[in-house]
Amino acid sequence: MKKRIFRSIIAVAMTVLIAGFVLAVSFLYGYFRDSQVTQLREELAIAALNVNRYGEEYFDGFDSSVFRFTLVAGDGTVLYDTQASAENMENHLDREEIKEAAESGRGSSERYSSTLTERTFYEAVRLENGDILRISASQATVGALIIGMLPGIAAVILAAGAVALILSERMAKKIVSPVNGLDLENPEKNDVYEELAPLLTKISRQHRQISRQMAELKREKDEFDQITQSMSEGMVMLDKRGFVLSINAAAMKLFEVSGSPEGRDFLTVDRSPEMSRAVREAMERKRSEFRGERNGREYQFIISRIDTDGETAGVVILCIDVTETAFAERSRREFTANVSHELKTPLQSIIGSAELLEAGLVKPEDTRRFIGNIRNEAARLVSLINDIIRLSQLDENSGPVPSPETVDLYGLANEVAAELADRAAERDVKVTVSGGPCMMSGVRGYLYEIVYNLCDNAIRYNKAGGSVEINTGFKNGSPVLTVSDTGIGIPPEHQSRVFERFYRVDKSHSKETGGTGLGLSIVKHAVAYHGGTIKLDSEVNKGTAVTVTF
Amino acid sequence: MRSKFDEQLGLLNRKMIETGAKCERAIAMAATALLEGDTGASERVAPIGQEIDQMEKEIESICLKLLLQQQPVARDLRQISAALKMITDMERIGDQAEDIAEIITYLNGRTGEECHGIRSMAEAAIKMVTDSIDAYVRQDPELAASVSEYDDVVDEGFDRVKRTLIGMIRDNPADGEYAIDLLMIAKYFERIGDHAVNIAEWVEFAVTGVHGGE
Repeated sequence: MKKRIFRSIIAVAMTVLIAGFVLAVSFLYGYFRDSQVTQLREELAIAALNVNRYGEEYFDGFDSSVFRFTLVAGDGTVLYDTQASAENMENHLDREEIKEAAESGRGSSERYSSTLTERTFYEAVRLENGDILRISASQATVGALIIGMLPGIAAVILAAGAVALILSERMAKKIVSPVNGLDLENPEKNDVYEELAPLLTKISRQHRQISRQMAELKREKDEFDQITQSMSEGMVMLDKRGFVLSINAAAMKLFEVSGSPEGRDFLTVDRSPEMSRAVREAMERKRSEFRGERNGREYQFIISRIDTDGETAGVVILCIDVTETAFAERSRREFTANVSHELKTPLQSIIGSAELLEAGLVKPEDTRRFIGNIRNEAARLVSLINDIIRLSQLDENSGPVPSPETVDLYGLANEVAAELADRAAERDVKVTVSGGPCMMSGVRGYLYEIVYNLCDNAIRYNKAGGSVEINTGFKNGSPVLTVSDTGIGIPPEHQSRVFERFYRVDKSHSKETGGTGLGLSIVKHAVAYHGGTIKLDSEVNKGTAVTVTF
Repeated sequence: MRSKFDEQLGLLNRKMIETGAKCERAIAMAATALLEGDTGASERVAPIGQEIDQMEKEIESICLKLLLQQQPVARDLRQISAALKMITDMERIGDQAEDIAEIITYLNGRTGEECHGIRSMAEAAIKMVTDSIDAYVRQDPELAASVSEYDDVVDEGFDRVKRTLIGMIRDNPADGEYAIDLLMIAKYFERIGDHAVNIAEWVEFAVTGVHGGE
């Protein structure tokens, strides 16, 4: 802008200068010419008067340095010339001024010299005797004049140019400086040229609009961040090149990244081939998912493509912890398989025995044993189904809702001990009940199941000559039941799984010891129903102690 | 021109990380197969080895294209030349994982105490490969330097396994072939450790300009 102003000022100054010059020169030139012509005429009039009176002699001793006189006869022959000899001069009748004078008594013309640097004015008048007197004077032409004045002109232009340069520079600066000094942060507080006012108002308006939108965006981003950061699921957003746009706290923990990986390739966060493949697949097919293990937990990774205006903008990776779900799924699958297997085994045995009896292949003395077999297996089947029903009731909290009542655990323990006395004696195991009355609020049936199953297991997995102790009492104000035995114990690697349905430590000997494999599972559910906890202490070949705290 | 170069360099980086991840997967599978006596592992490891071979060719061609067409200098040049060297080591790791899986098929599912000696070695080798790839991903010269130091652990493990196997042959000459197969596997894991050290040294070179081996 400054440059432009500067250039314009210089251009205007120079144009004015040159125009002035041209005008002055042309005006002066015209003026001089007119005055010269007038002067010539006056001289000619005087000379004509004298020539009329004195004839040719008038010119004797005439100083011809200023004017030149030529006397021409009526037929064009030069009679006399003040600068050249008349004999050498050609006939002048064809000269314009002579012709004019011959016809009208007065003539004038002007001619340029061959070099154009001089112009000669001619004035002619017819004398009384018919001769024609001509006067002429030369003058430098405009071109010659200008060429002659050139150094002067140049000097003037240079001087003027220099002054114009300095002045225009200063002026340009002065005009521009308020514009440069504009405070654009507060556009409306400026007081400069009024031409700028609309612009400043507009800037100010946009300023406000932008800051409002920025605040809005920031608020939205904060909101988004807050939501994603507090999510327990991991969430990562990638752009279409696979670079991380945002990642929440859960995902950072999951992928074990320390610094924020935003702006980096997602491969630097997780480079497992499954993840790369799934991301690629999602980019192509809109959605993909896979399960994978990270940090010892199982995650479901769901990857969806985000499209905006029909174009792929990126993908979102959602990581959901499915460790529990996966475990539940697995146990359900195992449960179904186990149930069918457990139900089938006794049935096979029943069918086998029945077929043999039907075909008459059993000796009469063995018939009793076979029928006993069928009865035993059927009884086992019934107890298994009873267990399953109980378990599913506990599982679903379905069936008639049992009403809580006050139960004495100690009494219950004695009841169970009495019930199991026969079986204990069979296996040569001594059952004792210790502790004191322990009143608690609970569902009698479920509590009975707990004591019965724990005690049953303690007898079942005991050694000959071993013992089982049931202890009831209070600890820290909570009713506690402890069943300890001197049996075979549970190896450490199985301890966390014995409460699963049908889980057996020794898979090959389940038949021998009997039991459905559901006992501890029922205990677990019944304890959970009463809001209690189970603690298992066991050492192989030393014994097991199960402590239930309500 | 420049952005195209950066794009190509980014692609190279991606491919390197992907190849590294495949190497990790291949040896992890080989090690698991050894412990579980899984004779079918060879069929699963071999395709990964082939993928790594394919990636090696792709990476080489990207590197050469970059070198010829863009004439990189300074750090970019180091990055590309280091990638060219690293990919050779990665490819060797892939091959060795394949070899291990193949030998496991000859063991006919036999595993024993001796395998557990190799297990700690294999774990150390896997850690080295993971660390060297991590060092590449994070461009972390310190982590790269730690890989070189860790090589001693693998070497010691190899010596221990060797002594165990010598004892085994002496006590039970009939097990000779089995012992020698295991020795080969141990040797391959030891070599994988060396390749991981090479990769780590090239990472160091790419970042700092000083080759770790010097």
